[in-house]
Amino acid sequence: MVQQPMPANPMMLMEEMQKIEQNMRTLTRVTTTKAVVGQTPKQQIWALNKARLYRYIPVVPPEKRHKVPLLLIFALMNKPYILDLRRGHSFIEYMVKQGYDVYLLDWGVPGPEDKDLKFDDYVLDYLPRVIRKVKATSGSNEFTLLGWCIGAILTTIYAALRPDDGIKNLLLLTAPLDFTDKKAGGFVRWVSDQGFDPDKIVSAFGNIPGEMIDYGAKALKPVENYIGSFLTLWDNLDNPRIVESWHAMNTWVTDLLPMAGATYSQLINEMYKENRLMTGKLVIRGEHVDVSRIRANLLDVIALADHISPPCQSESIMERVSSKDKFLLRNKGGHIGMMAGSGAAKHTWPAINEWLGPRSE
Amino acid sequence: MKQSSDTPNPLDPFGTMRAMRDSTLEAWSKMMIDMVNSDMYAQATAKWLDSYLTASQPFQQLMETTTTRVLTEFNMPTRADVISLAERMTNIEMRLDDIDVRFDEIMSVLQKLAKADPREEER
Repeated sequence: MVQQPMPANPMMLMEEMQKIEQNMRTLTRVTTTKAVVGQTPKQQIWALNKARLYRYIPVVPPEKRHKVPLLLIFALMNKPYILDLRRGHSFIEYMVKQGYDVYLLDWGVPGPEDKDLKFDDYVLDYLPRVIRKVKATSGSNEFTLLGWCIGAILTTIYAALRPDDGIKNLLLLTAPLDFTDKKAGGFVRWVSDQGFDPDKIVSAFGNIPGEMIDYGAKALKPVENYIGSFLTLWDNLDNPRIVESWHAMNTWVTDLLPMAGATYSQLINEMYKENRLMTGKLVIRGEHVDVSRIRANLLDVIALADHISPPCQSESIMERVSSKDKFLLRNKGGHIGMMAGSGAAKHTWPAINEWLGPRSE
Repeated sequence: MKQSSDTPNPLDPFGTMRAMRDSTLEAWSKMMIDMVNSDMYAQATAKWLDSYLTASQPFQQLMETTTTRVLTEFNMPTRADVISLAERMTNIEMRLDDIDVRFDEIMSVLQKLAKADPREEER
């Protein structure tokens, strides 16, 4: 909302008053309502406990479609509709239009009965069943796994434990995998402090409240998240494009999920503190996770301004895997902005499509 | 901070104020990011969280014990009962999912056999 010098006559004053009134209405609407999100047509094809698997309705004729289906695995602590944020600005809509057979796993909202769920359960109970369903539905024995944030940890572990399961391509987006550098980013620094005891939090709450995780993420950039974001809206209240984009993003940011207590404990203790995945010490239900067993084609996408998973946490996987076909894609933007920001449709999505297209035949 | 106009008009008091606001926030933001990325902040957060959890634990336990006792007295299911039931349902769901897949596999084999059997075509 750009303030202009004071109007000279009553008519101009009237117009200015009307504009202010309209802006106030817009402000109230976007800060008190939820935007319509996740609109790409889809069909639920599988469910287990809180998890749901969706298949997006293809819009490209079968002969022009890519043969290898694409399975999207998002993080556990936010809703996955960030991948399908709003019509005309949705990664899923884009990929469906490019001819991919797209599947999305929604982990759902863990209840108190899920507090003991661990990475072991997500990787060895849920993912194999989901992949089995994707294979059966698509008729293809090969598939592409795309994991984002914690979803990338899950997909990396799966690709290392089951390299012969038909996983053709592995896409990792802003993957927090290597915690060697204990000073890289706020999260790793906070949780590496000796006084920080994740098990005490888990024993108090069971599941980790979404508000607590949200505070952690926002506190990394407090001024931007608590003030800057609202000032951006205030300055642009008369710009519908920015307002609608802000509304959708705010809807997602405030749609919080708790995280299963045992998963949180494992994430902090075994990943952040002990760096077990990259040191080959991670054991999932008795099986050693060795990332050098990953042979799938690998696209590792990092965001250069990522303050949640700094690039150094994602880059080193490139040297550890046995994949012959691998590529590190460096993108401008932050942890979420890289995939859902205004530049995503111009840079990140086409780059992913360009890499994945020839490898999906 | 994002600016809506490129260069502030010196005759526009709001523009000048906005430019001042943005530069102040920029400096504040840098200072806060440095602060939250310090060891001192990490230690203080860990200590505060630990104190909070230690202080709230007895109340939480008391509440849990009392609620469980009251529910048991009234012959009502406790939180633990409901959780146990939900866990059992998830296990049943997993079994059903496995059975569903086996059933699909059997159907697929039967269809293949039917296609291979010429008598099936005559029918």
